[in-house]
Amino acid sequence: MATVIPLDEYITDEWYPGFTPAFDHAPFYVEPFRTFTKEDEKRFWFLDFHWPRGLTPLGLIWNEDGYAWGTQSAAENLPLPPGRGLSVRIAGVHTYASPIDIESGFEIGERAGRMGPQLGNFIANFDEIWADRRDEVERSWQHFVSMDPSSMSLPELSAMLKEARVFHKRAFEIHFEVMYPLLVNYLGFFGWCAEAGIDTSQIGKFLQGYDTKIMETDRELWNLTRAAKADGLQALFAANRAEDLNTALAADPSAAGFVQKFQDFLAVYGYRTEGSCDVALPSWIEEPVPALGMIKSFLEKDEEHDFDAALAAAIAEREEAIAVARSGLSVEEQVAFDAGVASCQAANFPWWQDDHNYYIDLRVSLPLRWAAMAIAAKVGADNPEDGIYLFWPEIVAVADGEKSYEEFRDLVAQRRVYFNESRAKRSTMPKVLGTVPEAVSDPVLIEIFGLNEHFLNAVKAAGSNSDVRTLTGLPASKGKARGIARVFNDADELHRLAPGDILVCESTSPNWTPAFAKIAACVCDGGGMLSHAAIVGREYGVPTVTAVGLATVVIADGDEIEVDGDAGTVTVYKRAGAEA
Amino acid sequence: MHVLWIDGVEPGEAVRRSGSKMGRLAELGTTGMKVPLAFAVTVDGFNDHFAATGLDAAIDVEMQGVDHSDHLALEVVADRIRGLIVSTPILESLSDQIVDAYEELCDRASDLNVPTAVRSSATGEDGADSSFAGIFDTFLGVSGSPRVLEAVRACWASLFSPRAIAYRARHGISHHAMPMAVGVVELVHARASGVAFSIHPVTGKRDRVVIESNWGWGETVVQGLVTPDHFEVGKTDRRILKRTVNDKKVVSAFDFSAGLVTETQMPERLRLRASLDDEQITAIADAVIAIEQHYGYPVDIEWVLDRHRREGEPIAIVQTRPVTVVEQGTSTAYDPMALANKFIFSKGR
Repeated sequence: MATVIPLDEYITDEWYPGFTPAFDHAPFYVEPFRTFTKEDEKRFWFLDFHWPRGLTPLGLIWNEDGYAWGTQSAAENLPLPPGRGLSVRIAGVHTYASPIDIESGFEIGERAGRMGPQLGNFIANFDEIWADRRDEVERSWQHFVSMDPSSMSLPELSAMLKEARVFHKRAFEIHFEVMYPLLVNYLGFFGWCAEAGIDTSQIGKFLQGYDTKIMETDRELWNLTRAAKADGLQALFAANRAEDLNTALAADPSAAGFVQKFQDFLAVYGYRTEGSCDVALPSWIEEPVPALGMIKSFLEKDEEHDFDAALAAAIAEREEAIAVARSGLSVEEQVAFDAGVASCQAANFPWWQDDHNYYIDLRVSLPLRWAAMAIAAKVGADNPEDGIYLFWPEIVAVADGEKSYEEFRDLVAQRRVYFNESRAKRSTMPKVLGTVPEAVSDPVLIEIFGLNEHFLNAVKAAGSNSDVRTLTGLPASKGKARGIARVFNDADELHRLAPGDILVCESTSPNWTPAFAKIAACVCDGGGMLSHAAIVGREYGVPTVTAVGLATVVIADGDEIEVDGDAGTVTVYKRAGAEA
Repeated sequence: MHVLWIDGVEPGEAVRRSGSKMGRLAELGTTGMKVPLAFAVTVDGFNDHFAATGLDAAIDVEMQGVDHSDHLALEVVADRIRGLIVSTPILESLSDQIVDAYEELCDRASDLNVPTAVRSSATGEDGADSSFAGIFDTFLGVSGSPRVLEAVRACWASLFSPRAIAYRARHGISHHAMPMAVGVVELVHARASGVAFSIHPVTGKRDRVVIESNWGWGETVVQGLVTPDHFEVGKTDRRILKRTVNDKKVVSAFDFSAGLVTETQMPERLRLRASLDDEQITAIADAVIAIEQHYGYPVDIEWVLDRHRREGEPIAIVQTRPVTVVEQGTSTAYDPMALANKFIFSKGR
């Protein structure tokens, strides 16, 4: 008997107060982004982890450009044999996604036949392909970053907005065009290793120890921490909340040197949002609290994170893991294994999974954000951020002078209320909706979203067992740690984590990476072996269990918990507020 | 002569006269493998004995009209036939030859009442097509000529176990078409024993040798009474690829009071200790690879590590036969798309 989680509550034509979209108002490749219908209950939907806050009206373009266009166009053009990418629906301000499976064995076979030569080319030329794409994104980026929206006219801002959308859409074409073949290459190698009897928990190690742009940013944050220490600023950082640091630093003449260094840092690494692909998020340049908060908490740590030593250790561990795996293979198998390692190191999925965030996920929403805010300011909105509470057709109409902003002023206020109410419901949103399958076969859903057996069992059992003491998930990074759980619904409060805390969240994104230098362990509701938390957990040696299903529901902030990254279990020892 | 020394005969003749099991041992001896001293009571000896003593006729009467689907009736008939065989004294001319050969075996082994393995060696048994492996009896540790004679009759009798009768009926083989030779083989003093395959018996990979091993004699391994130690060796470079030492709870050991090899509890100190060292593993791998090369097809063997064996000396081989498993080539090629189709795109379908 299939488990069906009803979605009636989310069936509506309206996306937000005052907006009912035309069916095809946005581009899509196979299936458009839209609201739920009763028919959707037959399919399997899972709550997307990328936007724990939910999405504002303008932010919802990601569901159009990323899912309905990016995943679907890449899956069709590669083509990906078993599916056509992901389809998306909205429930309140939250996104649910579902794989578009292909059922016909004939069609899957034909698509596999077409993909074969493409995959070979891709792997052989990955460096060049990724460099080309990166250059393309960089070129476009320079176009936008050289603009000064505050000095532009409304027609100029309208043009910037539309160009920024073109860039946004193209960036996610690139994202999935590169991601799918990388993932396929990796999973093929994973299968080969499993069949040859190699311990698959070691495979991540074969591919670790390559520097990424995200690690480079983390290194620079530690350099700034050292500079703050050298300038004797520990007391200033300790005395101020993260939110107040910017002002406190500006007011203290002895911090002038540090402030200059921090500005130089931001000029290079500051075009980065505290979350993936969301126009609602400011960059560090606009809002440096997260970066300063991170430096503040690094200063509280007794020991510095030695990046060179960590990288050297990761490389040594990689070579050792490869040598151990090779020693159990016959001479003939070693030839194939070496080719597989070379293939996956050349077109390295776990590496790219971190590296690409710098170029794409953490910044391509910024030009849209800047244009929208400048337009809002230009047309007399109460707050520039009101611009992101307009839907795409609305803000285009306003920018082109076809509609007056006054038509939307009250709606924006209502939508802000709606967003905040809907955001607050996040922790009670069902993890899945519709018909829950026995197992999921799409590798992206298993490896990235962590929709494995544990996860599905946990969501099916939800409600039947209120006093869960031990949770199980995917052993993503080895080691054991006990500590106080800090349950986060989004990254906003991340800088409040104390060293030795255990991070419990739906899922982590690249902007959470610096936190791994101080946490004792990490637990996520979702995420497979290739999720961000799993990769970074291994890289930083932090015990991590993913795909737990309901960790953020069962574990309360302040609980004392133990994480076993080898067994994939999380044990709740002491309830917060309970008598000792 | 109804007794045949397997080290003094051409392999083709040995197979014809003493069945495939003893025939293969004779053939192995000619390749320079270390095989134990052994003689066979031939098929002709069996035929003469069964004809002259009237056993053939008596069996035919018993088998008349047996309903093979009636298990209970079949069991009664089988018991009666086996009773007849073990209670009928061996023709004096034949038993004289067996006793004489046994005394010669003792002499050649520089032992008195040398313990032996008395093994059934039926024609058709262990053939590549129809495998009778494990259907007929083997007696380990048989010592002294009266017991050897008893064991020979017991081997003959195992032709008529309900299982063997049913097997023949299923494959349409008459018992007349399957006269049984019996091998009398010097029992090697086993430190450790087991089986080895020149191909992975489960995955069919041809790039490796698989060895399973336990302390003492090999019955615990062959009959699956123990989870043996498991080793894999690469054929090309003879590197040990895998070493799994298991908790071995049972051992086949010589019981002097019973005069037989029997199963008993493994001494505590040996349970978790590896039953083979690297040199011994490599020597077994060398032997099974050489045997495979000799025959030209994958084989499995039963081997025994003599407790007096020193480093560099050969391993004793007590049995070999073709192994039937679907071969899987170990490709050195690496094809990401083929792997994707195999491991990703076929999942759940």
